[in-house]
Amino acid sequence: MAIRKGLGIGSMYYGIGYGFSRADIGSAEIEMAEDGTTTVYSGACDMGQGVMTVVTQVAAEELGIEPDQIRVVAADTGSTPDAGPTSGSRATFVQGVAVQNAAAELREQILDMASRMLECPKENLAVRRGQVCEIESGHEMVSVGKVAHQLHFHGRRAAAWGWHDNTTADVDPETSQGDAYATYGWATQLAEVEVDTETGRVRLTKLVSATDAGKAINPVAVEGQIEGGATMGLGYGLYEQHILEGGIPRTNSLAFYLVPTAMDVPDIECEIVEVPDPRGPFGAKGVAEPATIPTTPAILNAIHDAIGIRITETPITPERVFFAIQEARIRGEFEED
Amino acid sequence: MSEDPSTETAEETQAPYHWIGKNVTKPDALEKALGATEYVGDMVVPGMLHGKILWADTPHAVIKRIETEEAARVPGVHAVLTSKDVPGSNRFGLAVPDQCALAEEKVRSVGDAVALVAAEDEEAAEEAASKIKVHIEHLRPILTYADALDPDAPKIHEGGNVFQHTTVRKGDLDKGVRESAVIVENAYHTHRMDHVPMEPEAGLAYVDPSGVLNILVGTQYPYRDRRQIAPALGLPMNKVRVIQAPIGGGFGRKDDITAEIHVGLLALKTRRPVRLVYTREESLVANTKRHPMAMNFRTGASADGRLTFLDGDIYGDTGAGVSLGAYVIKKAGIHATGPYDVPNIRVDTYTLYTNNLTSGAMRGFGVMQAAVAHESQMDQLAHKLGMSPLEFRLKNCLKPGLASSTGQLMNEGCGIEATLQRIKDYMSARELRFNRPEAASSDS
Repeated sequence: MAIRKGLGIGSMYYGIGYGFSRADIGSAEIEMAEDGTTTVYSGACDMGQGVMTVVTQVAAEELGIEPDQIRVVAADTGSTPDAGPTSGSRATFVQGVAVQNAAAELREQILDMASRMLECPKENLAVRRGQVCEIESGHEMVSVGKVAHQLHFHGRRAAAWGWHDNTTADVDPETSQGDAYATYGWATQLAEVEVDTETGRVRLTKLVSATDAGKAINPVAVEGQIEGGATMGLGYGLYEQHILEGGIPRTNSLAFYLVPTAMDVPDIECEIVEVPDPRGPFGAKGVAEPATIPTTPAILNAIHDAIGIRITETPITPERVFFAIQEARIRGEFEED
Repeated sequence: MSEDPSTETAEETQAPYHWIGKNVTKPDALEKALGATEYVGDMVVPGMLHGKILWADTPHAVIKRIETEEAARVPGVHAVLTSKDVPGSNRFGLAVPDQCALAEEKVRSVGDAVALVAAEDEEAAEEAASKIKVHIEHLRPILTYADALDPDAPKIHEGGNVFQHTTVRKGDLDKGVRESAVIVENAYHTHRMDHVPMEPEAGLAYVDPSGVLNILVGTQYPYRDRRQIAPALGLPMNKVRVIQAPIGGGFGRKDDITAEIHVGLLALKTRRPVRLVYTREESLVANTKRHPMAMNFRTGASADGRLTFLDGDIYGDTGAGVSLGAYVIKKAGIHATGPYDVPNIRVDTYTLYTNNLTSGAMRGFGVMQAAVAHESQMDQLAHKLGMSPLEFRLKNCLKPGLASSTGQLMNEGCGIEATLQRIKDYMSARELRFNRPEAASSDS
């Protein structure tokens, strides 16, 4: 066995959202029923990454109620408003603010009505854990459900609408100068690889992903994004290639198009970095794409660290590495054991 | 210490939030873990028909004639449709409407749908699809970057094969070159990648008693689907309802139209609920992929380890349709520097039509490819300078007050230094070291 180990890093920045003057919007409706249970009508698609949970937590935080009192209705042109696409790592960053705005307006309605009901100045009141409280004493005065009931009773519905326009103007057509995106995601990954110099096979043996979430609204969901992103990045770097010959696919089955399996995924250490962004909800920004982009570059640099050879073409198949080693040998540049 | 309850209380009073930063359980976690979630492919509706697509089997051809009579006679078949049966524009496309729901006069890639079938069961639908005869005349396919850049090559679309050319210009490139002590130049090639969402493309459509076409689909954006479906099928937008069904992954693929227009057309024409579920093989061939890119980068740094310039060209193969490719490749161009302060820049990008599979949005959106190039360049510059690749990045990374490649001033939300520092701390805590640049002096 001729195994050599190497370490490499990859960094990236990624403009979050759509840029280029493309509509980059979020919107949501929120309604509290007479028992205080609340429904958020959010147009954002949950892809499994957890934006529905983010929406729930943002609404709970802003409104002052418990997450288990909130239900989210999502992504249906017949029942939810337009919240833009779930792509561009933008759902938390854009829709999070829209939901926060909707929840804040509903909270003000609750406090207005509570102030009338309690004959107490509004500025002395706050909503905490489903109760309207007196700020000074923390004393619980009335449940939000009772206040919502009064709003419904007077035809006020206890409902609010929130929106957020994150659209950024296109860059200059000649120079591409301008404020291209509202904000950027940031990430650095460290890859440890083993290169078999006899076969050219590369194994990723460890990955450390330092990804800036701004503020992790749900840390486990962020870790899910980091682990999934790194796995996808590993697939891009080492395995997945769609081969066409004369425009005809030669890899039109998973027998030929190789995706990473659980056996190929190493320990992934999630280092959640939090540099709060004032434009995101509670400082948060998206991590979906930042979590996948640095993996292949980190592997490429780790291979160079291991064997002193620079691979410039992806995917990094055993054949490619094997022939690169042979060519380096012919040039007398390969560092033999 | 960690068991001391007072520590926890102190942390709680520090934290300004009740629910932000907490691991609230996803509402769908249990049903997903139990395998109870019904995806479109699991849904069964009374009276439901099964849809099937006949795909092109050649990348570039003129369609002379399509015979559907024999297919229509297969027992259990309710509809066999070609572009002539589409009541609307038959067009879609996220940047420009350059894709046909069903191929008209031309086939532009093997991912083009040519005809549709709806039948009582999947076997009948498949049999009927196999009996459709498509008479074609082959055209020379455009398959490489060089083919696409050749002005004399056949045009895939009327406007020519170079769909878009973008330019990034900043500072003074010659000055940057003059100030460089080291320069690294390389050509990078990245490949085509499939999203491989666990759930292949699928849709279920029905016309409800009020005449509204309802489409359940694993999508990333129901409103944009509606904006594309309605004109393609000649319906007013308020007669189209798109509902996101539980989705088994999208990764940018389902940002675009997948099964929506096809399954909607079959439901409109048959007045029956229709379900259309791709096989994995269809999913690997149809719809969008990650752009292959060719990137030529020349990057310099001064003797004291500061980046001086980037001079680069990026060619992206967007296939037979632009989809979001124009934005993907433009984004690659403005991210070509990576997260660093580069004062002098020339980058040109080219979005090229070919007869390969259409490329579109995929997690990473152009920056995936650009990072392969800029991060390889960064390490090579660091090695030539005899610097640690980590220190070289820390020295050059964007910080609040510095400007990106587009001249955008970074604000307090600029986190690259913090991520690099975190990796540096991780490495020093475990005494991890790169093999190089110790060998750098002999390496360069």
